[in-house]
Amino acid sequence: MLFAGLLGARKKVPIWRVGRAQAWMRGHLWLGFLSFPLIVFHSGFRFGVGLTRALMWLCLVVFVSGIVGAILQHFMPRLTTQRIPLETIYEQIGRVRSQLASEAEALVEEACAALAGNVSQATEQQRAASASAGTIGGLTVASGLQVDEGASVELQQFFRREMQPYVAQGGARNMALADRNQSRGMFQQLRLLLPPNLHASIDDLENICEEKRELDQQTLYHRVLHAWLFVHIPASYALLLLGAVHAVMALRY
Amino acid sequence: MPRRVRSTKNLAQRMDLQYFRQAHPLRSWRLWLSILVPVVALGWFAAQRVHSQKIYSSGPLSSAHAVLGRKCDVCHVTTLGFFRAKVRDDACSRCHDAPAHHADQVSFTVSCASCHVEHRGAIRLASTEDSSCTQCHANLSARTGNLPYARVVKDFDKQHPEFAALRPGARDPGQIKLNHYAHLKPNLAGPSGPVQMDCQDCHRLMMRGGSWPYAMAQPASASISEPKSEEVGGAQTANADLKHARTGDYMAPILYVNQCAGCHVKDLQFDRRFDQAAPHDKPEVVQKYLLQKYSDYFASHPRALSEAVAPELILRGNMRLPLPVPHTRQEWIDQQVMLADRVLFDKGCKLCHVMEGEMMEDNAVEGKASLPAIAKSSIPTRWFLHAEFDHNSHRFLTCTACHDRTPESRQTADILLPGIATCRSCHEDGGERQDAANGRCSECHSYHDWTKERPTKGKFTIPQLRAAR
Repeated sequence: MLFAGLLGARKKVPIWRVGRAQAWMRGHLWLGFLSFPLIVFHSGFRFGVGLTRALMWLCLVVFVSGIVGAILQHFMPRLTTQRIPLETIYEQIGRVRSQLASEAEALVEEACAALAGNVSQATEQQRAASASAGTIGGLTVASGLQVDEGASVELQQFFRREMQPYVAQGGARNMALADRNQSRGMFQQLRLLLPPNLHASIDDLENICEEKRELDQQTLYHRVLHAWLFVHIPASYALLLLGAVHAVMALRY
Repeated sequence: MPRRVRSTKNLAQRMDLQYFRQAHPLRSWRLWLSILVPVVALGWFAAQRVHSQKIYSSGPLSSAHAVLGRKCDVCHVTTLGFFRAKVRDDACSRCHDAPAHHADQVSFTVSCASCHVEHRGAIRLASTEDSSCTQCHANLSARTGNLPYARVVKDFDKQHPEFAALRPGARDPGQIKLNHYAHLKPNLAGPSGPVQMDCQDCHRLMMRGGSWPYAMAQPASASISEPKSEEVGGAQTANADLKHARTGDYMAPILYVNQCAGCHVKDLQFDRRFDQAAPHDKPEVVQKYLLQKYSDYFASHPRALSEAVAPELILRGNMRLPLPVPHTRQEWIDQQVMLADRVLFDKGCKLCHVMEGEMMEDNAVEGKASLPAIAKSSIPTRWFLHAEFDHNSHRFLTCTACHDRTPESRQTADILLPGIATCRSCHEDGGERQDAANGRCSECHSYHDWTKERPTKGKFTIPQLRAAR
């Protein structure tokens, strides 16, 4: 148990050159796994009362959570890699999400500007796409961008109501964009609404939503993968502490 | 096609390279929980410890010691204030001055707690594990080399010798001629008609009260009903056997007044002129009774000298006939007593008892017979002198389920004790786990020689014991 407990210390001091991390982890797993049956034998297959009962419960909690953790650690990373090929650092998900929100907002602003005929705000790509626009009503327009205020409003409304809250907010599983099929449908409608030269922007927005979904999924996987530690580590510390008391008092009595 | 490209490089560029310097909520929560939970655990422990030391207990005490649960230091005595407070033998012997196994114990004397392991719940502490016994008895050695016991006993159902009473050469030491077969026959002549006797008519646990069906109907005289008269039957021996046993679990000793007199009182009737039978007592007492009886008769019958001898007093073939004619009161009384002695000692008593001496013929002619000695009945009330047997725990069985040879037994010497094989058919190692009765040593054997138990003096008051600490 002490060895198993020392893994925490080993992790706190990664430069501590006492054995390889893998050896420590294997030792932690196997000794931790063996400790429970040994403790059960030590207790004579009884839970006891008072301190011994508390210790047995703690031991059981640590053992079961450890087993669950070991199973999760075995399968979840593979699953995460399969389903989220471009996973990011969990702690940076919030930062990435806000970057995605900013990126989406910029894309929408560009698209809206293009729809409003403001060439200065149109992207190079949009301008190139509008080169064949020619003249309208005998006047040579500055841009071939198809001016459609209605579509611009629709796009902005979509962004404000659906996309921005979804991208900015972690999780947001109840929103329509959280569902890949619904999301695809919504963006398909936008494509029908907007001129083809803006479809690339729509594709980008959809891509951002897809990335946001992956971030959410990564968050979920990460929590599943690490939730057991909220039980395992505190219970382990409590077990070590009360175990030390038990050892001392067993010598006395 | 989306213009934005997702690549690991792009992703990496989004990262804050100093992110690990900032506390993440998940890590913070884990840290706080890792502090909080041990602190709560320690707080719980401290709160429990304030009230009592019971927090250290590894389990509930046995039923017998449960009352000491609040007072750990009754057993866990700290000597000289040192840290260690292991239970020592002297703490146990303050209440139980249990003697050692036997004086000739060779290897070592184990501590009380090594066999009687406490804090295992409401168990019977005397029910020790077999290993406590087999650490010596699996390969027993004796200081002198002569071992009166089996050298290797490992467990009851595999390596345990046959009971001593049933080993070759052993015989029933009883001196009462009892034919179980005859007594269990139907239509036996009972006190008031034919009867079918049952085992429990004669064999009954001591703890059970109630009347005996074949007891003396009513005491004819004080001398007949005297319990001390059963010394003839060896009740003293029986009591000695039971002295240190849980006597309630054993069969009550066989006494003439309880189990036999109802039918066999007629065998002690010696003369039709008297309603009463002779007392079931020592020959001297019987002799004295007869003298008194015939003296009284002569006094109340002045013509007794001329009366013919009662025919039932003449045992043909056993005495020289014709009998001399008495001329004086004393001669008449002596002759009547001699004849009654003959009827009783040569016929009535012999029906059941083994006589150790015969009446002298020449003395009989003179009217003064020397009295025979009656062998002590020596009926063993307890067969297992080194083990306990609890009949009461086996009350759900029929008697013949174990004592299966009894209904066919015709000889006193037949030992009707069931053998170890009979016991093993129910008692197995593993007991309840094997759906069987327990086969542990402690089921039958007691480690301590309780005959050497010394009384102890109480040391605690009720408030002392009940005060929480």
